[in-house]
Amino acid sequence: MAMNDDITQMLFKVIDELNQLRPREEHLKKDLATPLAGDFGRLDSAGLINLIVMTEQRTAQELGRPILLTDDRTMSRINEVFRTLGSLADYIHLLLNEKHDG
Amino acid sequence: MKNMMDNQLYTCVLVSDFNLQNFAGYAANDPEFPNLKPIAAPLGQPVPTLLDRAAPHWQNTPDLAVIWSQPQSVISAFHALLKYEQVPVRKVLQEVDEYCSLLANLSGRVRYAFVPSWVLPSYRSVFGVLDMKTEIGLTNTLMRMNLRLAENLEKISNVHVLNTHKWIERAGINAFNPKLWYLGKIPFGNDVFKEAAQDIKAALRGMLGYARKLIIIDLDDTIWGGVVGDVGWENLVLGGHHHLGEAFVDFQHALKSMKNRGILLAIVSKNEEQAALEAINQHPEMVLALEDFAGWRINWQDKAQNIIEVLTELNLGPRSAVFIDDNPAERARVKESLPEVLVPDWPEDPLFYPATLLSLRCFEMPSLSREDLSRTAMYLSENQRRDLKKSVRSLEEWLRHLAIRVQVEALHPANLQRAAQLLNKTNQMNLSTRRMSEAELMAWAEPQHRRLWTLRVSDRFGDAGLTGIVSLEIKDRKAQIVDFILSCRVLGRKIEETMLSMAIHHAHALGVEAVYARYIPTSKNKPCLDFFKGVAPRFHQQGEFFIRNVEHPFPLPDHIELVQ
Repeated sequence: MAMNDDITQMLFKVIDELNQLRPREEHLKKDLATPLAGDFGRLDSAGLINLIVMTEQRTAQELGRPILLTDDRTMSRINEVFRTLGSLADYIHLLLNEKHDG
Repeated sequence: MKNMMDNQLYTCVLVSDFNLQNFAGYAANDPEFPNLKPIAAPLGQPVPTLLDRAAPHWQNTPDLAVIWSQPQSVISAFHALLKYEQVPVRKVLQEVDEYCSLLANLSGRVRYAFVPSWVLPSYRSVFGVLDMKTEIGLTNTLMRMNLRLAENLEKISNVHVLNTHKWIERAGINAFNPKLWYLGKIPFGNDVFKEAAQDIKAALRGMLGYARKLIIIDLDDTIWGGVVGDVGWENLVLGGHHHLGEAFVDFQHALKSMKNRGILLAIVSKNEEQAALEAINQHPEMVLALEDFAGWRINWQDKAQNIIEVLTELNLGPRSAVFIDDNPAERARVKESLPEVLVPDWPEDPLFYPATLLSLRCFEMPSLSREDLSRTAMYLSENQRRDLKKSVRSLEEWLRHLAIRVQVEALHPANLQRAAQLLNKTNQMNLSTRRMSEAELMAWAEPQHRRLWTLRVSDRFGDAGLTGIVSLEIKDRKAQIVDFILSCRVLGRKIEETMLSMAIHHAHALGVEAVYARYIPTSKNKPCLDFFKGVAPRFHQQGEFFIRNVEHPFPLPDHIELVQ
């Protein structure tokens, strides 16, 4: 539960960073239901690249464990992983748990 | 004026061999004035983009352009060096010269162009010990390339080379991320782009005449440690073998360096004036002397009120000033009362004072003129003039005693920099408030049917420097006074009448029948309207036009010596 909160807070900081690049009217909400990629996504390809890099950096810095979001496993299900902020949080949780288990 | 300009969008053409979308995002969405509207030129084609004058993004004279390239993309000899092929540095620099000639051509296409210097990713550290060797080291060659770039472009007044290394250092470990490059052709981390956007906006603010000109500082626990009224000047923390004392001395050195670059210093402090001045004059480790300050208010009054008085005395507006105080309550009070004064958040720890001052992005000036460098001396002379005024019986007597000399010169390369600066900074006595780059101003003044003169004003107390501009445009035997600009430093000494006398004299000599001035109102130039309405001999007013037949000369004020 604590890890879920940490991941959510970390992702909200990523959203703050992303919003600095966007006009006020296009700011992303800090809400797990916020759509990211896919049919209803709010991010273009450059936005998605920024999201990936910022998320990897912050996960390493704030949660202390690096994750990889550009491998084949992630890229092959990109619309599913990045469908919403919540789906991304779940995926990060999964990756961190795998590392922890390993 | 600022409110009006706050909403103005400045078009910014982005030319690059890499993806500048993130830079564009920061530039467009940073809330600080001025607002930028980035326009991306075709990605990856900097040289064709620079060559193609007819390309759509160059139309309508964009306000600024940022030309940001990777060295290996635009200098093929450097690309070969990256592969450790044998290329003489001479060949590399020759290509830099050719690239610079392309950049120089931008001068007439945009108002301002910014060229970030070249860098290589900091992770590239193979062959480390050879890196600084001539003809072998990549960093050595790149430094020469950047120096050549800066030297070549120095001659172009509206093209500016920016220091990318500073942005890299500030971004630290996040300056480069290969992932951004491979996923998006973005060579830098976002912190680099954020720094770049802030620096370019600060530079543009300076070019638009919004650089801050005055630092107003507190004394106790700001330029020295301790409260002088409590401990006496002998026991202040300043200098000596003490980390805090050293930091205060360094802070004073930083302030002095600002003063040497033309920024005025003033004091607003809650203190007994005698005790404070004694500390400034007596403490052996004081770096700043009383003559470094253009004015001061040391008393127990409200600081916001004292700041207003200092600004009035120096004839500056609140938008010119920065207020530095260690006390958060005083800062909050000034912020609330004078929102246009910049009141930076100030660190609690004095060890960070010098760095905080030197990192402020509000003093950017596109050029430094003789007038900038001697600004404090000019204000001190102004105090002497004010003292003289108090001792005489009339304005006429004061003006006679001043022995004013006005030297008139046509626009030429040696006075162009200062003339453009005056044109872009003067708000009050400014008929049309045109804002132009040096190149634009020179180009405007060149045709035969136009005349532009600069005025240098001096008197017995000192030289105020180039402080006036008047220009004429002649058409159908009529001459329009296009620019009528006078620095607030010399207002009210009948230099205004001297400018009219000179302009009308020249217009008459050129066979013109009438001169007219068109007043274009701004939120700040009402003093110019008042002058034209009240001037004697009179101009005939028709709405915003002021007209005068040139048959009768406009007299030169008696007390002025005019040197043409």
